[in-house]
Amino acid sequence: MLNEKSEVVVSLNVVSKKFPNGTLALDQVSLDVARGQLLCLIGLSGSGKSTLLRHINGLHKPTAGTVDVMGVRVSEVSNKELRTVRRHVGFVFQQFGLVGRVTCLENVLTGALGRLKWPRYGVRSYPKDLRRLAFEHLDRVGLADQAFQRADTLSGGQMQRVAIARSLMQQPQLLLADEPVASLDPESSGQVLELLLRIATEDKMTVIVTLHQVELALGWAHRIVGLNSGKVVLDRPAAGLSQEDVMDVYQRVDSGRQTPSETSFAPAMQAN
Amino acid sequence: MSKKTVKLAVVGIGFVVATVWSWMYIHMTFGGLFGGFSDLGRLLQRMFPPDFYQLSAIVSATIETLWMALIGTAIAVLLSIPLAFGAARNTTPHAIVFGACRAVITLTRAIPDLIFAAIFVRAFGIGPLAGVLALGLHSIGMIGKMFADAIENADADPRDATSATGASKWQAIISSIIPQATPTMIGTALYRLDINVRSSAVLGLVGAGGIGFLIQTALRSLDYPSALAAVSVIFVLIVLIEVFSTRIRASILGERSSSVVSAQQISGAARKRIERDSKKLIDAVTMRSITPPFTSERRSRIFGMWGVGVLLVIALSTIDMPIFSSFQYFDEAWKAIRDLFPPDFTLARTELIKGMLESISIAFIATTLGLIIAIPLGLLSARNIVARRVVYAVTRVALVVFRGIPELIIAVLFVSAMGLGPVPGTLALTLVTACFMAKLFADTFEEVDPNPREAIFATGASRLQELVGSVLPQSLPAVVSQVLYMLDVNLRSSTVLGIVGGGGIGFLLLSSIRVFEFQTTGAVVLSIFVVVYAIELLGTWVRKLIQAP
Repeated sequence: MLNEKSEVVVSLNVVSKKFPNGTLALDQVSLDVARGQLLCLIGLSGSGKSTLLRHINGLHKPTAGTVDVMGVRVSEVSNKELRTVRRHVGFVFQQFGLVGRVTCLENVLTGALGRLKWPRYGVRSYPKDLRRLAFEHLDRVGLADQAFQRADTLSGGQMQRVAIARSLMQQPQLLLADEPVASLDPESSGQVLELLLRIATEDKMTVIVTLHQVELALGWAHRIVGLNSGKVVLDRPAAGLSQEDVMDVYQRVDSGRQTPSETSFAPAMQAN
Repeated sequence: MSKKTVKLAVVGIGFVVATVWSWMYIHMTFGGLFGGFSDLGRLLQRMFPPDFYQLSAIVSATIETLWMALIGTAIAVLLSIPLAFGAARNTTPHAIVFGACRAVITLTRAIPDLIFAAIFVRAFGIGPLAGVLALGLHSIGMIGKMFADAIENADADPRDATSATGASKWQAIISSIIPQATPTMIGTALYRLDINVRSSAVLGLVGAGGIGFLIQTALRSLDYPSALAAVSVIFVLIVLIEVFSTRIRASILGERSSSVVSAQQISGAARKRIERDSKKLIDAVTMRSITPPFTSERRSRIFGMWGVGVLLVIALSTIDMPIFSSFQYFDEAWKAIRDLFPPDFTLARTELIKGMLESISIAFIATTLGLIIAIPLGLLSARNIVARRVVYAVTRVALVVFRGIPELIIAVLFVSAMGLGPVPGTLALTLVTACFMAKLFADTFEEVDPNPREAIFATGASRLQELVGSVLPQSLPAVVSQVLYMLDVNLRSSTVLGIVGGGGIGFLLLSSIRVFEFQTTGAVVLSIFVVVYAIELLGTWVRKLIQAP
């Protein structure tokens, strides 16, 4: 059963994922994430960051290896058990995933659906205590004033904060965020990451964020994991890590594609 | 020439050949064509002025027509919602359910409501119940399809996000897909209500309630002024409903939502409303209310919902139709449908083939003649082509007026003026097609890109040269697909023209029902379905061909 107190929240053990079209998205990835950690996954697009994240809440199943979340082997459980796990794992998407035509409050409330039995439609179909809780979460992300406004009247940064409030409704032990600031301007990006960091510290919540801006990752994360072609190429605490160290990850890839002496090695990697 | 051009040329030539063949098949002549219009003119002269001595009967029949349309649409909406979830690729529980739901939608769409009505009148007797059920069943075809499309077009992101919180499949669908699909759903329902008011005005021709019966009786007893009175009353209702439906749909699709914003650009009442809404939104959150405030948006939504509910209750309680006992009629309806099987094609084979060919001929001639009339008419009613506003306004109004009269009523008038046969039916359909197509064309012409037009004018071209050289080529793809659409619509209509004596297979349909040869009726219905569906597939194929690069 799900152990909410476990100290290792996420554990990937030699996970590989090969998609039906033949792409090897993850290549023997092993990773343990401790409680309360804010981990940034970095890498170029197509390096396997999003795929990795989707393995943690069971949206993808690995071809080989195991994925454990709070003691539950999500790579093997049934759909019903997976729902139980998802109820405790928040997921924040790049495109927010809000229903534009309904109020912010109702969008936040949908985060509680996993705890409710029947489908709901309209704010007033949710119990009062959940409505109060949703309002508090909106207040916490600084958007209480917009509670009864339609979600599509907000700016991108505000929408992402509503989406985070929706995840908080789940009272998750683990929050996964897939490129949460990729469609935002620098100022909103800062606000959203600051919010995530604050939540991680205040609630002792584990947060795993994928990012492609190195400087943002260095500024906010506890730990940085670099992925390249599905392999872990960097795994270090963010403290003491310089931008050059990280750029080295990217550099190696670039030179691999450009230097003639290494071209013989590039196709070999693709064949892998 | 590319393969595409060859294929399109074959379609074009085929269309012309089919029209010429049809012209000869129903013995159409130019004399008959122009004679028909002057006959109609003489009939209209005898109808004037309308005589309203039957006013109270007309008004109550008109109200019955409206209630029939309302209840029929409501039934169709209720049945369409589960059907649409089964027929949408992203929500269907199983491939078999998907296939079954799609089949029901296709079948109900291909069989005209008048045919359902004629069959049901046999089952339940004369009265609005048959009409209501016919409208309800036939409307599923369009409403179900549009609902399914709305569900399929909904953005998948919110649903994925909701599922990721641990919500079940149906919790996620209801919280994320329904809110996205509702504007389209309401718009579709209103549009269908508009269509159903027109349809229910003619259902009386087969005894299925509404004002059609009154119009037919008046014409049969040569009481022309009274018939005109009835036609003009129903015409007013149709135009009112159209205006109402169009306005509400426009306001739903272009909705402004309330938010805490400064309302600088907006003036007057709208600005006051927005300011009031903003204040309510702010008050609600400062009082930490967890119930949505009554903004104008929410008020009008609640008002709309209650309005529909109250209207339905009034409709159900005033219409002369068994409601609580109507469930026992399902048995009868089922029996009536079962009696159609197995279809018997042998008993009336010659009439069946002749009627079907006649219907197809009528559809082709009406579409081609309509096209010839509609192009100049469409150009005259396009704002960006006609320089004089008066011409534009007059033609637009004329088109709206003509489209307000249901085609079968125009057919009844032509038949009264010229006698039975396919020619009056063809003329009626031609007139309706011309007006409808002209409206479609005008909208297309107005969307033409102005830059190439200026470029051609700049070379010193005349207005006519510019029209032929720039406006027509730019609108050609849209025009072709609109012509195919009209052919499709006309084929459906021409199968029922025979019910009022306007030629085609409808006559056999009605007479087979009258003499209780239901298996022949079944054969007719099946043939109509096959032909209508074939033309629809052809239309889809050509449209894809045009859009292909």
